[in-house]
Amino acid sequence: MRLQVVLPLAACLSPVVAIYSDEVNHIDFHHALLGAPSPDSTFFLKPSSSSNASLLYTISEKSIVGAVNPRDGSLIWRQDLGRFSSSPAGPGILRGLDGNSAVVSAAGDSISSWSAQDGKLIWESRLDGGAVADLELLELHDASESPDSRDAIALTSSDGTGVVRRLDGDLGKTKWEYKDTSGDMAFQVSSSPTEIFYISLQPALLKGYRIKVTALDPVTGRQSRHVILNSESDVTSQESILFVGANTASPLIVWTDKSLKTLKVNVIGTKHVTSLPIDNASGLDIGEITVHAPRKLNSLAHFLVHYKTKSGAWAEVYHVDMKSSAVTKAYNLPYLQGQSVVATNNINANVYFTRMTDAEAVVVSSASHGILGRWKADVSTSDPALHAVADVVTKGKSVAVRSAVIHESGDWSLIRNGHTEWTRPEALVHTVAAAWAVEEDLEDLAHELEIEGHESLVGAYIHRVKRHLRDLQYFPEWLKDLPKRIVTSILSDEVSNLDSFGVAQSIILATDKGRVYALDTGRHGIIKWAIQAEKTSDWDVKAVLANPGLAEVFLGDGSSVRVKSSTGEILAKSPPTDVKLQTIATINQPAGLSASQNGAIGIRGDGTLVAPLDILSGFLVTTTSDGRLLGWARKDSKFPVWDFVPPAGQKVVKAVSRPSHDPVASIGKVLGDRSVLYKYLNPNLVLVTAVNEQEHIAAFYLLDGVSGKVLHSVSRAGVDPTQPITSAISENWFAYSFFGDALEESSAKGYQLVVSELYESPLVNDRGPLGSAGNFSSLHNERGDSLPLPHVVSQSFVIAEPISHMAVTQTRQGITIRQLLCVLPSSNAIVGIPRHVLDPRRPVDRDPTSAEAEEGLFRYAPFLEFDGRWYLSHSRDVAGIKTVLSQPTLLESTSLIFAFGGDIFGTRATPSQAFDILGKSFSKLQLVLTVVALTGGVMFLAPMARAKQVNMLWKST
Amino acid sequence: MHLRLSSLLGLGLSLSYLATASLLTITIPPSTNLPNPHSLPASTHATLTTLPAPGAGDRDPPHILTASLTRGATLVFRDLPAGHPETYLLDIRAGEYVFAPYRVDVAADGSVTGIWETFRGNPWENRGAQKYVVDVVAGEEKRPETAGGDVLVEAKLLGKKAFYEERASFSPLSLLKNPMILMAIVALVLTFGMPKLMENMDPEMRAEFEQQSRSSPLTGATNNATAGGGFDLAGWMAGTAPSPMAVAQAREAQERESASGREAAAAAAGNVRKRG
Repeated sequence: MRLQVVLPLAACLSPVVAIYSDEVNHIDFHHALLGAPSPDSTFFLKPSSSSNASLLYTISEKSIVGAVNPRDGSLIWRQDLGRFSSSPAGPGILRGLDGNSAVVSAAGDSISSWSAQDGKLIWESRLDGGAVADLELLELHDASESPDSRDAIALTSSDGTGVVRRLDGDLGKTKWEYKDTSGDMAFQVSSSPTEIFYISLQPALLKGYRIKVTALDPVTGRQSRHVILNSESDVTSQESILFVGANTASPLIVWTDKSLKTLKVNVIGTKHVTSLPIDNASGLDIGEITVHAPRKLNSLAHFLVHYKTKSGAWAEVYHVDMKSSAVTKAYNLPYLQGQSVVATNNINANVYFTRMTDAEAVVVSSASHGILGRWKADVSTSDPALHAVADVVTKGKSVAVRSAVIHESGDWSLIRNGHTEWTRPEALVHTVAAAWAVEEDLEDLAHELEIEGHESLVGAYIHRVKRHLRDLQYFPEWLKDLPKRIVTSILSDEVSNLDSFGVAQSIILATDKGRVYALDTGRHGIIKWAIQAEKTSDWDVKAVLANPGLAEVFLGDGSSVRVKSSTGEILAKSPPTDVKLQTIATINQPAGLSASQNGAIGIRGDGTLVAPLDILSGFLVTTTSDGRLLGWARKDSKFPVWDFVPPAGQKVVKAVSRPSHDPVASIGKVLGDRSVLYKYLNPNLVLVTAVNEQEHIAAFYLLDGVSGKVLHSVSRAGVDPTQPITSAISENWFAYSFFGDALEESSAKGYQLVVSELYESPLVNDRGPLGSAGNFSSLHNERGDSLPLPHVVSQSFVIAEPISHMAVTQTRQGITIRQLLCVLPSSNAIVGIPRHVLDPRRPVDRDPTSAEAEEGLFRYAPFLEFDGRWYLSHSRDVAGIKTVLSQPTLLESTSLIFAFGGDIFGTRATPSQAFDILGKSFSKLQLVLTVVALTGGVMFLAPMARAKQVNMLWKST
Repeated sequence: MHLRLSSLLGLGLSLSYLATASLLTITIPPSTNLPNPHSLPASTHATLTTLPAPGAGDRDPPHILTASLTRGATLVFRDLPAGHPETYLLDIRAGEYVFAPYRVDVAADGSVTGIWETFRGNPWENRGAQKYVVDVVAGEEKRPETAGGDVLVEAKLLGKKAFYEERASFSPLSLLKNPMILMAIVALVLTFGMPKLMENMDPEMRAEFEQQSRSSPLTGATNNATAGGGFDLAGWMAGTAPSPMAVAQAREAQERESASGREAAAAAAGNVRKRG
């Protein structure tokens, strides 16, 4: 039995217009983020032996491996390791070697090798024996192997058992493995030109650890010898060891004594431990000691120890004698106040250290203390640097350096010779909540207008005249700008500057790292300001609420932070309360002419309210942690009005309501024969998703939020509860999506999208029980029966991929057709499905009648293929999106879209085309030229026509 | 189908000695839409999705498997979960490229028993082209290139998504193609070219032509119109010309009055015509 794949005709029928390729980066912006780079796994690397330019590779704290172009900071490729491994990924490791065409990453128990050039998988391997503790690439390689692939040495550890494996560089197969079952704590692996070392910590008799170094044969993996260093008095945990070098001519282990007075250095494989006194001239407590050594076999055996105190830092450079393994101090970099980071790299055998401080950046050679290059530091950022990697190039005597600096906030920037070339706002990857900022001056005008509306006729007139006189002060400025505006409007891309139509709005973001940002969506999403509101790595942000001129961030502990939305200045902080909040309900209610009232109410885990609903005239619905739903009315935070308990086994997982801004342009739907189907427009609709995880059932209930009455319910078996189940509701329709398994062979398997429309009656021109009533009550009416039930029409579609989040576009008047915004996590895209495609009244198994065709209905096809033109993110790879916000603008055609959660993406959606904007295709120059040409034509023809008319009059008689 | 599944299960068990770790490799062949499969983005990946029977546990065995695109433009699934016979939906997602979904049946020991094309929105039993199947009777694979438990199938590219709208570019040629412009040009040629043409004609031909055009209904109608026979809508709207009813009444009255008047009018029309 065969069926040809029926592609929907939607594409050819829909009036949807996709983004023009010349509008990319003009109306949309995208921050492709990785997350804060992991300091140990960030490096410059030439992607292949043939290429000259190197790329910047990192694995972020979000376990995303990425390659960044050091020239402009653009992302070349990235791979999310968390996406493919089921195990929770710990801190990932990424290793690369010059001359190797691959970078090897490890997260959890899986190791994968990626092509350095394009990020494609070379091999992946899941190792049994616990999580990967350390990973190194072997620089030495057999002559028989291909020159651009290096084997990897991986160490896995799980309670007392450490396994060292050598993995083939081309296939990822294990060449040999060495198992250590002695119960020692597996720590790291290292390698020298001749041997591979397995370093473990052996518990000493009383306390502390002795460092055990086991030398392994690189070819067979057999243990050749082992050395135990007596370090039990110094080493109490893994953190006590400062550094284990790898891939150097003389790999080192460095640790200190407990009082931070002596530095102990051991060349791996030898028994000798060199003790070096720490020369602490500043007298301050040493906070942090870091060791920087080159990671290359042929480089000089020099290393740098960087000491950091609370207020400053200094560094000392040591040389290791290869033959005697003696360590001698060469020189030191002086103590300087302020922050200081050091990066190391080598060109052939020479080792260079780059030190960046508050005032300057200097480059020194490891051999002598002479400064090779010195640049003034860029003082544009106040974000302290935490770590840096550098790439030094020498040209004759002079050097140039570019260094990628990881800042405290998590941002990543590249500094070339003292100038910041780019900054990647990696900290935005942690965004958990956002809100559109509300401008203050807009509110001012609304306020003034309100005053005028309330005053007497004369008073209002005087007020208005005064206001206009006041506005006159801006007139000369406006006049001055006028010629410039006219010229630019003719020459510029966009015909009119739309900023004044609310197309450029600010958005306030809060991250779970304690930072608050404001982005300007009108200017490519640049950061207007960023503040560290709280020094924490786990800021429990529940909601961001924007009021005119300010934004408030609500936290799970009941506290809140209020910032000025134009500058980021912290205005107030409220102390935490003793209740633990589950969520915050933000309330936005229209109050007065154009102002709206905002409020927030904390909700506990059991669904109860922290405070009564004083500011609210409506109702509130909360979900409880045990899977129920509670309905609340005003001024009673103790007892819910109603309680919705789903059938046994089911748990409420989600409840959505209509957006606070959801205007309805038409109360009915006009059919092809001019009859009307009246929409069921209830502002109190709540769509509830309940799931039975054991029996794989998903049920959707449509409730009235005031009375708690179930208006409609539907249940579906064979739904995967672990896959995203999302829903959205707007106007008189709702949609939901899930993965539906084939319960039997005759049913379909795949992701499904169901759309339902609500009407007052199944009959046309009929309002059912409501009759000609102008309003209705959720609770009671004259006839005694309560709220009438809607007539529900549904259609379901099979879609090709899961939807992880749904939203609906919002426009000012609701005249523009809506789009269902869907986040597609598996293809990293955001798609806006036009509503008329999701019309459940599409005729099934027949072609539409002429009346239906006039209405815009076309034949139903069970498979809904997402048309390429629906993709708001077009060819961008928009990853990790958790939430999509939509905001109306002053232009009815345009809705602002902002997506966050991983990447940051913003665009303008025009679901019914940009009918109130002159687009780029409208050329003012062409218009002017046409008018000129026509005028010329008229001037040329007018005398001729006149002569002819005169002749006609004379000759006719 | 239940029977069939159980028979497959039995087969899988008998095969288990040679197919311990099954490897499912999907290759992406070059096609007209995708001449170079190596140009696919690094985010390209394939997923195997199913839902274990209720009560089987949701995470054990994992029922959503993912494979990334490799350097050789292949997608490799290792270690298909064993435990239950499962039937997976195989999707390949690669940016703008759309691939056909497959149905992958896996036996209880984790070896692939069959791969078919499938059609979204159709019954699961509605299988398309068979890509791979284990021969139940002989107990060996039909495809010679597969060895051990390894399975090799080719992905089928269905098409490419077009993300961008083409902007209509302005060109003078497109302006000339506009029928309105074409009509205007023809009219212009007639008004300016015809008199010249007439002048260049020899007098006999011209006389003949005029005779012809006088009898032609088309020119007759236009002449009528110019002579006031037609209805002047713009004039009527502006109030300067009489309404059609008034014109008709006037004409009737005129006709009743005298036939000679009509002849005079016709003669006047003839004069107009002569002037061209």
